[in-house]
Formats: sequence, structure tokens, C-alpha cells
Amino acid sequence: MEISDHTKVAILGAGRDGLALLDLLHHIPSIEIVGITDRNPAAPGLQRARELQIPVIINVPDLIGNHGVNLFLDATGDPEMEASLHAHKPPGANILSGSASRLLWKLIRHESKLEAELLQSEKLAGIGSFAAGIAHDINNPLQLILGLAENLAEERDLTTVHEQAQDIIEAVKRTSAICRDLTRYSRRASPHQDVLVPVNEKLDEALKIARYASSLHDIEMIKQYQPGAAVKGNPDELLHVLVNLITNAVHAMERGGGTLTLETTVHDGQVHVRISDTGCGIALDKLDEIFEPFFTTKAPGKGTGLGLYNVKTIVNKMHGAIAIDSQIDRGTTFTLTFPKAEPAG
Amino acid sequence: MDEFKSGFFIGGEACEGRVLVVDDEPDIRKVVKMTLQKAGYEVLEAENGEKAIEVINSGENRLLLDVVICDIRMPKINGAEAVAYFRSNYPRVPLIVLTGFPDTDMATSFLRQGVVDYLVKPVEGEKLRSAVARAIEQRELAKL
Ligand SMILES: Nc1ncnc2c1ncn2[C@@H]1O[C@H](COP(=O)(O)OP(=O)(O)O)[C@@H](O)[C@H]1O
Ligand SMILES: [Mg+2]
Repeated sequence: MEISDHTKVAILGAGRDGLALLDLLHHIPSIEIVGITDRNPAAPGLQRARELQIPVIINVPDLIGNHGVNLFLDATGDPEMEASLHAHKPPGANILSGSASRLLWKLIRHESKLEAELLQSEKLAGIGSFAAGIAHDINNPLQLILGLAENLAEERDLTTVHEQAQDIIEAVKRTSAICRDLTRYSRRASPHQDVLVPVNEKLDEALKIARYASSLHDIEMIKQYQPGAAVKGNPDELLHVLVNLITNAVHAMERGGGTLTLETTVHDGQVHVRISDTGCGIALDKLDEIFEPFFTTKAPGKGTGLGLYNVKTIVNKMHGAIAIDSQIDRGTTFTLTFPKAEPAG
Repeated sequence: MDEFKSGFFIGGEACEGRVLVVDDEPDIRKVVKMTLQKAGYEVLEAENGEKAIEVINSGENRLLLDVVICDIRMPKINGAEAVAYFRSNYPRVPLIVLTGFPDTDMATSFLRQGVVDYLVKPVEGEKLRSAVARAIEQRELAKL
């Protein structure tokens, strides 16, 4: 079977199996789903295809006769369909049906599970390095609470009592926000949950998390957000991408500080997200290597080498692209480009 | 160079000693100050290592500073750098580290550098006051 770089696929059957194939294949940039069909107009895969703006073909023979298709995936499990496919498909097109089609589905599903595992383990490994930041952010308010409470035990002045009680309440709120942010970040990304994600909000959220990984004290921040920067994707995964890029940028400026610039722009139906640092830079001959799993120049416990690998996986899945502009000792800019998502309605 | 005078008077009240609190969080400086003032200490503040060095090098402070309490995770000159500076330039001013992060390796290395105490936030007022008192006492003994 010839698999060119770009494969045009037709999916027959939009039941459970067809839907799963659709969900998995539409993420892969080199695969174009030309259409999906089912005899039952209420099949769940048809609805999903409309959401993804993939053509739904009502008339089954129309899809089978489509000359643009390289590969038919028959997920109907119907022997009649198989026979009809073999009889009417355009010459040169290939067919994957029955158990072969199910095997493919299982393989893809397995791979996407492995990918999710890798993502989660990298995230959890990273959280190990948050310990110092978290301890700082929790123990400081605790010091305030303890000191104020000790004072309140003896304080006579009612106005001071009220003020300090209020300070304690605020300190408790700040502390509990830390746990809320971190649990949101550390939870497993929910699968196949593509929604509209406001990028500017995610950048701010990522910044809060990245503070734990590395101190932002000596770093000047510049934010230039264009309103309306929204993309389609999994919010947890995009957050993960941004945390990784920001953390890398901050690590690159470890010596002597610098400027971190977060920028979003929207034009020509595309959203650009730029994360720039004035750090150590990346050598030209390392630009490919840095995306490889386990490539790291950081000490154990600080880097896993999985960050950019996962960044690339997620960005690909979101139909996005990554560009790097870097100069040794000057700094690095990572630019992510995504198709702009329009708010529904 | 850093001559010590104990029990001097400020505004007519007895002063147990002069303490410099170095922490980037105003809240922390506020409660540490409150805690120590109750025990009769005069408290100066600095928001980072750079400011702390400025404070100790200004006017009479270089003569009258009794204890420095220093956080570690701070902007500009961080705590570790400040500690090193104080140890080499003002070896007779006792240093207490007050940090949010319990790290035994770091504690050992600080104590080896001559830091008299390594306290982890949150620390009770009583403990903080006695650490300061002990630091001053040890210094007095060393001078005899
Ligand atoms: N902004 C950056 N500036 C300089 N080097 C970078 C930057 N981002 C990534 N790198 C380099 O790429 C390597 C791989 O990054 P990553 O995959 O995130 O793994 P890790 O951060 O765990 O090392 C880093 O170790 C570092 O050498
Ligand atoms: Mg990284």
C-alpha cells in the first residue's frame, strides 16, 4: 500500500468505531478526511464530523465513488459494505476493513494513550522542582498568620484586632489559591476535549505556575496581548505548552536576569503567541535536537528533556506550528502559530 | 570596626538591641518587626540583599547593628549572596537565616559559613526572640 505524505481518507460508518477513528485521525496533519458516511443519519460520528467541519456524505455510493480518496476505512463491520466497496471503489484506492481497520484503531488509540502518559509524567516530574517555590508561597503567609494570631491573643485595641483578623483572612485566601492553581495544573488533561481557548488568559495562568518552577524575581515582564486571541484545543494541554515555554525562557535567564516578553497577535485568521527571553540562546546546530525526548542541558531534577517534545506533540495536534529565533547570549523567541478560532454564535 | 554598645537608649526607652530584617515580603517584615519590638528591640527593614548592604553601610548602623535576620529567596542580591557579603565584611554581626524552604543541605552550608541560626517559617514569636537574644549573647561572650 502506498502511503504518500498526504493521505486522503474516507470513513465508512459513523458508529462507535467510526467516531473514534474520526477523533483520532483528524488530529494528524498529514491526513485529510475527505468525508464520512453512515446509513443511519443519527449516527454519532456524523454529528461530530459537522462540528469538525468535515464533509458528511449522506449518499454512501457518492463517497465510495470519490476519486480523490486514497484510503477507505470501513468501520461498518457490514459484509455487504465490504463487497460494495471492493466493487465500486476508484482504481488505485486502498481499503482497510474488518479486523484490519479495528487493529489500526487500536494502535492509534494505544499510541495516544502513551502520549498522554508521557505528558502527565513530565508534568509530575516538573512539579518536583516546584517544591521550593510552593514552600515559599505557603510558609510566608503562614508566618504572617502566626505572627498576627500571637499578637491578637494579647491585643487590646479593637480596631487593631479587626484589622489583623482581616489580614489573616486575606492570607488564608491567598494560600488556598496556590493549591487550587496547582491542582488544576497537575490534573490529567481530559481527552478529546477541544474547546475554544482564550490564549491571553492561559498565558497569565501559565505565568502563575511557572513562578513555582523558577524564581521570576530578577526578571522584567512585558505583556502585549491582543484581545480576541482564541484557539481551538484542549485548555489543559495548551496551559502545559505555555508553562513549558515560559519555564525554559526563565531558566535561560538564570544568570543575571533579563526580560520576558509574552505577546499575542491576531491577523489573517491566525493567532501568534510569542514567548521571548533575553537569555543564553540556543546554538544553531541544536535547534532540532532540543525537540528530541530527553535532550536537556539542565541538571537532573531541574530538567527532564521532555518539555519541548511534548510542546511539539501538542502544537501539532492543534494544527499549529513552532518557529524559533535565537541568538547565542542574546536570547530566544519561540513563536507558536495556530488557526484562529471563532467564538460560536 | 563594628564596636558594640548594648542597652543603649532610644527616645528614653531601654533598647535590647538593633535588628535588621531582610525580606522581600512587606508582610513578613511587618510581623517580625511587631514580634521583636514587643521584646524591646529596635527593628530596621530592607527588602532585598542590595538594600540590606546599603542599610548596614549607612551612618551609624555599621556600628550599632546587633543582628541581621535574612530571607533567602529574594530579588536583586539574594539571601545567599547577602549572607556571604555580611560574613566577609561584617564578621562580627550575627546572622540568622529565616526562610520559607526547609533544606538541610542549605542549612548546613549556612551554619558552616558562620550563620548562627537557620529558622524555617512559620516560626513562633518566642522562638524568634530567643534566637535573637542568643545571637547577641554569644557575640558578647566572644568579645570577652
Ligand atoms: N528559551 C530557551 N533558551 C535557551 N535554551 C533553551 C530554551 N528553551 C529550551 N532550551 C534548551 O532546550 C533544552 C530542552 O528543553 P526541554 O525539552 O524543555 O527540556 P528541559 O527544559 O527539561 O531541559 C533545554 O535543556 C535547553 O538547553
Ligand atoms: Mg523545559
